[in-house]
Amino acid sequence: MNEPSRSISLPHANPLTGRPANRLLVFAVVAAVLAIAPLSMPNNYWLRIYSMTGIWVMLALGLNVVAGFAGLLDLAYVAFFGIGAYIFALLSSSQFDLHLPFVLVLPMAAFITMGIGIGLGATSIRLKGDYLAIVTLAFAQIFKLLLLNLDTPINITGGVNGIFGFDPINIFGLRIVSPVAYAYLIWLCALTVTGGSFRLKRSRIGRGWEAIREDELAAEAMGVNTTWMKLMAFAGGACIAGAAGALFASFQDSVFPNNFDFPQLVIVYCMVILGGLGNITGVILGAVILSILPEFLREYGAYRMMSYGLILIVLMALRPQGLMGEFGFRRKTQKRPDKDETGRLRASTDLYYDGQAPAATKRYVKGARIMLELQNITQDFGGLKAVDNLSLTLYEKEILSIIGPNGAGKTTLFNLISGIYPPTSGSIYFEGADITGLKPHQIVRAGIARTFQNLRLFSQMSVLDNAKVGQFCRTQAGPLAVLFHLPRHQKEEAQTEEIAKEALGLFGARLTGYRFAQQAVFLSYANRRRIEIARAMATDAKVLLLDEPSAGMNPQETAEITEFIRRLRDAFGYTLLLIEHKLNVVRTISDRVIALDSGVKIAEGRYEEVAGSEQVIEAYLGRKKGR
Amino acid sequence: MELYWQQLPQQLVNGLTLGGVYALIAIGYTMVYGILGMLNFAHGEVYMIGGFTGWWVLHLLTRNNEILMNAALVIALMLIIAMGVSGLVGIMAERLAYRPLRNAPRMNLLLSALGVSIFLQNLILTYQGAKVRTFHIASLIPESFRVFHIGSTVFSFMRTLVIAVTFLLMALLTILIKKTKVGKAMRATAQDIEAAAFMGVDVDRIVVLVFLIGSALGGAAGTLVGLLFTQVDYYVGFQAGLKGFTAAVLGGIGSIYGAMLGGILLGLTESLAVTFLPAAYKDVVAFVILITVLIVRPWGLVGERIPEKV
Repeated sequence: MNEPSRSISLPHANPLTGRPANRLLVFAVVAAVLAIAPLSMPNNYWLRIYSMTGIWVMLALGLNVVAGFAGLLDLAYVAFFGIGAYIFALLSSSQFDLHLPFVLVLPMAAFITMGIGIGLGATSIRLKGDYLAIVTLAFAQIFKLLLLNLDTPINITGGVNGIFGFDPINIFGLRIVSPVAYAYLIWLCALTVTGGSFRLKRSRIGRGWEAIREDELAAEAMGVNTTWMKLMAFAGGACIAGAAGALFASFQDSVFPNNFDFPQLVIVYCMVILGGLGNITGVILGAVILSILPEFLREYGAYRMMSYGLILIVLMALRPQGLMGEFGFRRKTQKRPDKDETGRLRASTDLYYDGQAPAATKRYVKGARIMLELQNITQDFGGLKAVDNLSLTLYEKEILSIIGPNGAGKTTLFNLISGIYPPTSGSIYFEGADITGLKPHQIVRAGIARTFQNLRLFSQMSVLDNAKVGQFCRTQAGPLAVLFHLPRHQKEEAQTEEIAKEALGLFGARLTGYRFAQQAVFLSYANRRRIEIARAMATDAKVLLLDEPSAGMNPQETAEITEFIRRLRDAFGYTLLLIEHKLNVVRTISDRVIALDSGVKIAEGRYEEVAGSEQVIEAYLGRKKGR
Repeated sequence: MELYWQQLPQQLVNGLTLGGVYALIAIGYTMVYGILGMLNFAHGEVYMIGGFTGWWVLHLLTRNNEILMNAALVIALMLIIAMGVSGLVGIMAERLAYRPLRNAPRMNLLLSALGVSIFLQNLILTYQGAKVRTFHIASLIPESFRVFHIGSTVFSFMRTLVIAVTFLLMALLTILIKKTKVGKAMRATAQDIEAAAFMGVDVDRIVVLVFLIGSALGGAAGTLVGLLFTQVDYYVGFQAGLKGFTAAVLGGIGSIYGAMLGGILLGLTESLAVTFLPAAYKDVVAFVILITVLIVRPWGLVGERIPEKV
């Protein structure tokens, strides 16, 4: 028998981080190019374009944080760029006779803009998709109106004429005035933002954002504090845009309302989308292409914006994932091996984990301690009581099944326990503590995790990342820890990786090895169900709520998953509440069964008692004639 | 304050006119949203193209400040051709940019719509230039007929016309949706596009029809505003689109009556607020309403709150 740990570790270095030797080479090439480029530009005109490209790269990467990582359609983004620029213009010019040094103004521009970004985010964070887009667009319009009109009664923004004539940049005696010096400064900033983007993307924060982008509700239900994370995305984007704005203002030596208008917004969006939302190298490439390309199309100037519109339409129709979508430089897709390490042929329907799962050192059985208690829970959907005055007790290490015809309120019950709906009345206790009305992510942190009846995986994320999201609520690393790779972050990452692989490893070769790096969406239905269970386990929960775990599985797979659920309790000591339609599954594993009909509990007890109950038979088959 | 009360009837008339136009635009948003769940960002541009078409028809039919035929006929032609052209643009956008994305994530659809909007706006910019086109309505209505008074309130002929046309179009739409077979199919498709398809409704045809009607109404609004304020340029669609969307959201997006109500309310609020605010900030009113409604009551005034299906 092979060792269990070997079957779940990747044979090569993690493809996402790349091998150190390759990385050093990439760094060296990038550094060399950036060092030589400003000196090898043919003339000042091209040097300007080179510097502007750096600013566009920064802007695009900032938008990539909000729209690419977190999937928030923030159409006020260009206003943040403007705010940063105007902050610089006001603090470093004769407008108010404030002549603060650049080393102070740049961070101020970044952080004040960030504050405004958080403010905007806080008001509009609950809105989804289109609504968010429109509200932020309205904010951007208000911003532009203010820029244009705040020259009376007191002159703040200079109106249409803008502000010009800024102090030269002086960084501790190093004066940045020549175009070459600007090019170095701007690209240094762009490089910093790039590095930061990469670090964020490969952290719990990046995974949290991606999870929100893929499925906000599932992210929340897997322990991601979505409100907080979305605010953080707004803040991050605004911070980068603000810094880019300050640099831009200084570089142009003037600011006008026209610099921060709808066309600029469209251009940044085109850059990000051309590169592929969320794909950092792609976005940089997109920014570079769209900054330089127009220079070659000068004589077709009038068609420039028109072609941006066309780019958006065509890309969305033909290649929504962007230029770099699937063929990143370094993503090595591993082929599925047809034999495992021992030479055994792989077949997906094998009971693969037998013999591989950790030996059950201890056999858990139902305990007497109450884990979860529902008292008189009612959920009223405007007159329709989906759950009606229901009380229920779940004991430690118990397997309790809930059955009932369609529409009986089973899934609603799960939504109530996991905090997706706050109950109309009644209370829920977990390990003695009142958890009624807590947000889903708080309930996950308390120790209850769930799966969904109709799969809600983070489809575009890899199998491993899906499971890693589960650990989000157990880790704390904030943006600083991530950006500076503080030891705490490193430790948490290692722990997350270990736990995620362990959870997936329980399903054997179906979810491990080459599968780690595969996108969840490409897996079979049954395997995606398995990922959902692994993801829930990776939250370190004590209680698992499984919503029809065997749905869509063939008889052999059903037998297998039944066995697996039993093992979750027997070997790992989970407490399980499950909804299941297949009665033989229910019969095999349940300690107790509760039958629901129209939101009311109609029977409770051992399987045989419940199955024999007349009320239950009636609920499923209808009343007998003549009664 | 005294002055304000004196002005009130006048502002109400102005608000009603403006509101009717907003309602026409809002209907286009709301119908598309109701069926496809998408925000047709390009709708403002369709409105703008309607305005330009109206201008162009008037321009063609005018020689030396004299119109070539009966004024009523000219206005009717302007409206009909504008509605036709706008409707066509709407259908083409649907066919080329939205239909390929019917099953794609919503964000893609929205970005595609943004692309259509930018494309159309710059198409007009390229071929019409950035300059403002003026409707020469002087030749259209004789001097004596142009304004009339009821008390101290001034009714212009154009305002009356706009109100009449707006309400006529809304009434026709209501009849279409309530009383005809096609209307029933549209309602069914809005409820559940898949179920409607299974029940034998040609969903693609309904979607095209919805784009046609919505865009035609938007085009009518464009021409009516042109007649009212006598100006159109390539950039008007942006503001008008936002206003129309605000109206749709205010009423409850997806509901046609909500759009009508929201449009009229928005128009009234705006024209009443203008008396208090510097003119430069007039547009802020609509945006503040939009933001407040979306945050406080995103399902709008008459819309229904639907919990997210898990």
